[in-house]
Parts: sequence; C-alpha cells; structure tokens
Amino acid sequence: MTVTRRQGLMGLAALGASPIALSATPALAQAASRAETLRQITGGAINTLDPTMPGTTRESFGLSMNVYDRLVAFGRKQVNGNWVFDNTEIRGELAERFEISADGLTITLHLRPGALWHDGTPVTAEDVKWSLDRHVSAKSLAVSQFQTGSLTSTEQFRVAGPGVVVVTLDKPDRLALSNLAVTYAIMINSTLAKKHATDDDPWAQKWMQTNTAAGGAYKVESFRPGVQAVLTRNEDWKNGPLPFFRRVISQTVPEAATRANLIEKGDADIAIDLQTSDIASLESRGQVKVASIPQTNGFTHISFNTRMAPFDNPKVRQAIAAALPYDDMFKASLFGRGRKLYGGDWTTPPGIDFPQPMPVKQDLDKARALLAEAGMAGGFATTFSFGASTAATAEPVAALVQEALGRIGIKVEIQKLPDAQLNTLQAEKKLAFYTDSGTAWLPATYYFFFLYFTRDQRWNFASWENPRIAELANAARFERDPAAYEAQCREMITILADQMPLLMLWQPNMDAVMGKAIEGFTYQFYRQVDFRDLKRA
Amino acid sequence: MRALGRAGRHVGGRLLAAIPAVLGVLVLTFLVMRVLPGDPAVYFAGGPSAGQAEIDALRAEMGLDKPVPVQLLYYFRDIAGGDLGRSLTTGQPVLTDIRQRLPASLELTFSALLIALLAAVPLGILAALRPGSAVDHLVRFLCTMGVCMPTFVTGLLLIYVFYYLLGWSPDPTGRLDIFAATPPEITGFLLVDFALTGDGEGWRAAATQLLLPAATMALFVLAPLARMTRASMLAVLGGEFIRTARAMGLPGWRIILVYALRNAILPVLTIAGIVFSTMLGANVLVEKVFSWPGVASYALDALQASDYAPVQGFVLLMASIFVVVNLVIDLLYGLADPRARTE
Repeated sequence: MTVTRRQGLMGLAALGASPIALSATPALAQAASRAETLRQITGGAINTLDPTMPGTTRESFGLSMNVYDRLVAFGRKQVNGNWVFDNTEIRGELAERFEISADGLTITLHLRPGALWHDGTPVTAEDVKWSLDRHVSAKSLAVSQFQTGSLTSTEQFRVAGPGVVVVTLDKPDRLALSNLAVTYAIMINSTLAKKHATDDDPWAQKWMQTNTAAGGAYKVESFRPGVQAVLTRNEDWKNGPLPFFRRVISQTVPEAATRANLIEKGDADIAIDLQTSDIASLESRGQVKVASIPQTNGFTHISFNTRMAPFDNPKVRQAIAAALPYDDMFKASLFGRGRKLYGGDWTTPPGIDFPQPMPVKQDLDKARALLAEAGMAGGFATTFSFGASTAATAEPVAALVQEALGRIGIKVEIQKLPDAQLNTLQAEKKLAFYTDSGTAWLPATYYFFFLYFTRDQRWNFASWENPRIAELANAARFERDPAAYEAQCREMITILADQMPLLMLWQPNMDAVMGKAIEGFTYQFYRQVDFRDLKRA
Repeated sequence: MRALGRAGRHVGGRLLAAIPAVLGVLVLTFLVMRVLPGDPAVYFAGGPSAGQAEIDALRAEMGLDKPVPVQLLYYFRDIAGGDLGRSLTTGQPVLTDIRQRLPASLELTFSALLIALLAAVPLGILAALRPGSAVDHLVRFLCTMGVCMPTFVTGLLLIYVFYYLLGWSPDPTGRLDIFAATPPEITGFLLVDFALTGDGEGWRAAATQLLLPAATMALFVLAPLARMTRASMLAVLGGEFIRTARAMGLPGWRIILVYALRNAILPVLTIAGIVFSTMLGANVLVEKVFSWPGVASYALDALQASDYAPVQGFVLLMASIFVVVNLVIDLLYGLADPRARTE
C-alpha cells in the first residue's frame, strides 16, 4: 500500500467535487419498437408462470391468459361504450369448434388444425388430454375449480381420434364448458412438460412455475418474479387474430403515486390499479384516457357471522341493514365510481341477474323497531373488521358504519387486520362483522349462490346455512328447463333479500388508465389486462 | 506477516463469537413468525374456489402440520445444508431471490452512504469551525429537515420535481431504464458490471437511475453523520495538540484535515456502520417508492403475506451483515487510530 490516509481523503474530496449530471437517458436504439411495445405497470407482482399454483397472484392470472391458450374462450360485448367480457358467448380458442350433445352430457372438441406450441411442435389431442388430466389430478387450484363444472376424474376426458377430444359428464352441468375457459384451464405442451416431470412431481409443477410449455399469443422472453416479465408476440399463433403489440413489458411499481406519474408522462401505457383519489385528477388534467367499467362479476359486502350471537338473529341483521347510510358510504369509499347494489325497490326481484341492487335503504325508525323486536332495544357492542390492503376503501365504510350504528345504540369497535390474519379468521369463521369483497369468474346466478352462500367453507362469508338455498343452488346447477332455472334463481335472490346474511354494497369500477392512443381495453372476468385486446392507434 | 496472522486470528475469533448471537436471532424470528396471527396456508390457498382440502394440503407441504419444535429442527437442518426454503410470494428459492436482490440493495445503500458521508463530513467540519454562526445554523436546519421528513415524502417530492415537473431524471422505476439492455451479470452491481464491460452509456444510465433513490436515503441519514462529525470535531479542536499545531504555524487545512479530523473520525465511523446496517433493512419505503428490487421490500411483501421462509432468510442475512459490518468498522478503527489496534 502506498496510498497514505491523507491522499485517500483528498481523493474522496475530489470525487465529491465532480458533478454527476442528472438527465434522462436517450433510448434511441429502442425508439423504433417503442410504438409496438406495451408497458403495463402493476402494483402487485407476477409470482409464477403456472396459474394453477397455490398463491398465484391476479397479475399472474393475467399473464397466463396471454401466454397459454385454453380450449375455449369468452366473447366480449360493448356496454356503455366499454368492452366487457361476455360469458354467455363461448367461442373456440385452441379448439376450432365444439358440439354439446342434446342431453348436455357430452362435449366434443375439435382442435384447430395446424396449431403449434411455442417450440414449433404440433398440438395433439394427447396434449389436451394430459392437460385436462393434470387439472383434475395434480395438487393445484384447478381441482376445486373444475369440480364446479362437474369435472372430477381423468376418465371423463377421452381422445376420440386425431385432433378430437371428448368430455363426458355424469350430469348436465351448466358450467362444464365455461370451466374450460377459466384461467386455470391452460393447455400444456405435454411432451415438453413431461421431460421435466419427476417421480415426486409427475405434473412438472415445479418446473412450470418458472418455465412455460405453452402455445398462446405471447412467449415469455424474460421473467423475474416480483419485478417484471417481458413477453414477445408469437408470430405463429393461429388461435385468434394476431395481437397488435409485438412486445409487452409488465412491470411491478408498488407505489401508486409513481404509477400515476408514469402514465401521465406517457412513459407507461396502461395501469388498472391506481388510487381512486388520483383518477379524478388525472382525468381532469386530460393527459390520459380512463375506462371506468363496473366489475360486473364482483361485489363488495358487509357480512355478519350468522352463527354468532347476536347476528344469528335475522332481525338484528335487518335492523343493521336499515341503519346504514348507503349513499354516504358509496361516496366516501368510492367517490361514487361503481354500480350500486343497494336501494332496489322490489319485493320479487325484477330480473334473475346477480348481483343486482337489493331492496335496502336507510330508515332509522325501522332499524330501532327491528332491534327492539329482537329484544335488543338497548343495543350491544361488536367489532367491525377489514383487511389492511383494502383500507383505502374500507376505512371510510367502517367509520360510517360505526357512526350510524352508534345512533341505534350499537357500539362498534373498528379493527384493521393484516390480510393474512383477516383471511385466517375468515376461514376459521371467527369474524363477527366485517367488510370484504368477492368475485366470481363465472357470473351465473346459481354459481354465486353455490360459491358464496352454501357449504361450510371459507367463501361462505356469512357462514350462512339455509337448507332451501342449498337445495335450490344444487337443483339450478343441473336444471335444463330455462323457466324452472329462472324460478329457482328468483327464489334464491328473494330469500337472500329477506334473510340478509350479508349486505351487498356495490360493484367498484375497474378504472383502466391508459395513454390516449391505447384502444380496445376489455374488462375481463379475471380482472386483468388481456394484451391481445389492445392496440395503439 | 505476524501482524497479518494476528489480524486473521482476530477476525476469526470475532466471527466465531458472533455465532451464538446469530443463532439466537434465528430462533427468535422463527418463533415470532409462528406466534403471529395469520396462516400462510390460508392466505396462499386463496383461489376463488379453494376449500379446506387445499388449505390442509398446502399446510402439509409447507411442513406446518408438524409441532413447532420439530419444524425448528427441520429448519436448522435445512439452513446447515444452505437451503433457506422456498418463497410462496415469488415461487422461487429464497436463496435465489436474495442473490438477485441483495446487490440492488447494497448498491443503493453504498451509494447513499457515500453521498451522505461526502455531504455530512464537510458540513460537520464547517459547523464545528464556526459554532453558533450562520453556517452552523444552516447545517442544523438541513439535518433537522432530513430527519423529520419521512423518506417516502422526500422520495415522492424528488420524483415530482425532477421527473414529473422538470423531466431531468429518468422514470423512477427500478435500476435501469426498462427499455435498455442489461449488462451481463458479473457482480450484480450494475455500476461495476457496466464499468467492467466498458459500456459508458449504460453506466451513465444506471447512475442517473440510482441518483434519486440514493439522494433520498442520504438525506435521511445526513443528520446523525453531520451532527456526530460536528460534536466530535468540536471536542478535538479544543485539544492542546491543535493549539500547539496552530502555534507552530502549520497551514489551517492541514491542522483540520490531518490532525483534527483523523482524531475525530472514530465516532463517525461507528455511526456510519450503524447507519449502513439500518439503511439496508429499514429503507423499505425508498425501495417501494422507486420500485427498487431490493431485499427490504422483498421481506416486507413476505411479512404481509405471512410467508415465513423469506422473512427468516432476510433476518439471517441482516444478522450476518451486521456482524460483518461491525467487524469492518473495528478494522477501520485500527487504520484511523493506531491506539485502537493494540488489543
């Protein structure tokens, strides 16, 4: 060592004196492809390339729709000038066409001739059979989803010749075909996947978390879990119109304010999870385009634990329903950006769509009377909980609930819980009174009731047991007569409106904020961006 | 040669002595994670139709169905084999995650510490030379501002001014312009990798990307460093040897930089070590605001999801780094002050 301490110090001082210029880097080399590149920024992160893995984030669902094909896909329709998915119109994706037998027990799928996997090998009926077998056999989220379509055993899937797969059902399940279109129902290049299968892991689940065996519209160019994923267009894709964007970057930017800045400056193209409070000001400055679409397959609710006193008494639930200031909550929580699910005016439901506005409104006298009828005129004390990640929208609701119920003598303590803790308490049925939200991928009325209002399971938010609802939901599932199905749905909605195990509040808007030149955004059932829909004008 | 051997024995002894502390921290974290409410199996089996069967399967897969002492034994066995477990949040082994993210955090922290020291030491000296003057008050004001502004406020403010309003700074997301090519991974430190491959433009791009988050962090730690320099310089400047040096007619800069600063730098080094360890873990907000793919935001995400393995891995990492940093500081003492060497 010849450098003395003094020289070292002088060196440091010299370093400090040299200015480091602060300026934007010119990206000349990339400029040519920028117009054909879509940059999406998200608050959450993509954590797996296999959407059936437990713990898959919603962002990963979105990625998988672009990378993997399913046998069939939902169509889309225009509602109030915005595109929204349409689960009543099912079209072929990897399957060119399909037929359903008259008794509804057999679905025959004809694969698209000439369809290729990303590695260039042809798609075969055996690949499809292997993929379907995986979804009912491997330990994954697909198993329980497929059960809702009565798809439970590998024996139900049969190769019936080159490019033909037959699915057979024991009962004519209303949602069997729809289940082949959901996010989990990915079609996998089985030859490739099997190479990476092991004795412990016969379905190559470990390998597929960070690799793909797909054939969809986009290929994964690079993937860094929790940071970003880069996709390139699959030029040989034949299962739909070739997407506009050649390259897609999906990047995680955790800070909402930074996401808003990036979109407004035009450095990023689309974001769907900005803060509601930012969106109005972004809109007013006019640098961006906002598509506000009610999340038609979701709902925000206030749930009672119907197994826990005093909420086991329907009168108490009805009293609270009559005490809440719905309009104030809607404005404070969402700035009115959504569709109301309260304030309906009916005794028999006007339609069988669900969720629909339920007949509740604020009426304090009625609330006090009902509370007195329940023998609790003096009120009681309870806690109202919500998850920390929903605090921006749930906190105003909680404050208003506390204030309104105070006026009829119910003392409410507000409890904000970390999400993992809320979920655990929810699954253990230990929450008394709380707000949360739910989404059904397949927005059929019976499916909502089956998922959210029957059985002893986590998604039965109110832990509600109503034998008639269980009976109706199970009957509606296999009902072939449209008139009978309609009557069953109507009765379920009527019972719900009367018993009030939970209070439907609203469907929040999905606010997709994008550059002015981006067109074609579609609200999808999995609440993510389908890059295939988008183009730059 | 003998001195080198003695130093080596000293380092080895220190590292050995640190093992019980690290083990204690590990056991404590392990237990605390399991005592905290929130069941990772429930959280991660969160599909729209997942039921109790999925939750139980996941719990068994994660080994959470076994009694806690057995889990702890398995955990130590895995750590001994270099396996920190698998993160459910990212789907990757924790070791891979940390290996990818640690250089980002270290690069940011080193840069921030460098900026902070380059600003704090001269400021502290200036303040000490003229205590009670306008300069002293200005420094005090700067330090107070730096400390009382939460880092995410400083960060968002800097982004707003330099990116949104002025447009000088590149978009504040991550370590490199998203459309730019990344250098081949050699050390994981972008500045080093770009320098090694001789890519001047890339180096500049990475440096400008680094500047805002590093400045945000530097502002926050300016106060302890500058105040400590000032206090320590004040004490030393009143010493007799300084008076002697002045009486002997030595040039002013020589007295201050060579005789005073060298004697005053020990407490500053101590603080710098503590500040460094704190910055690495505690500046999660800076990482969040600037989408910096570092270890702190990784641990926070995992903690919110009750994902045990990454949190435990992070704590192990932090404990090890703390041990190493303390050791390095001790060795630096010896360089700065020969008296500290004679142990």
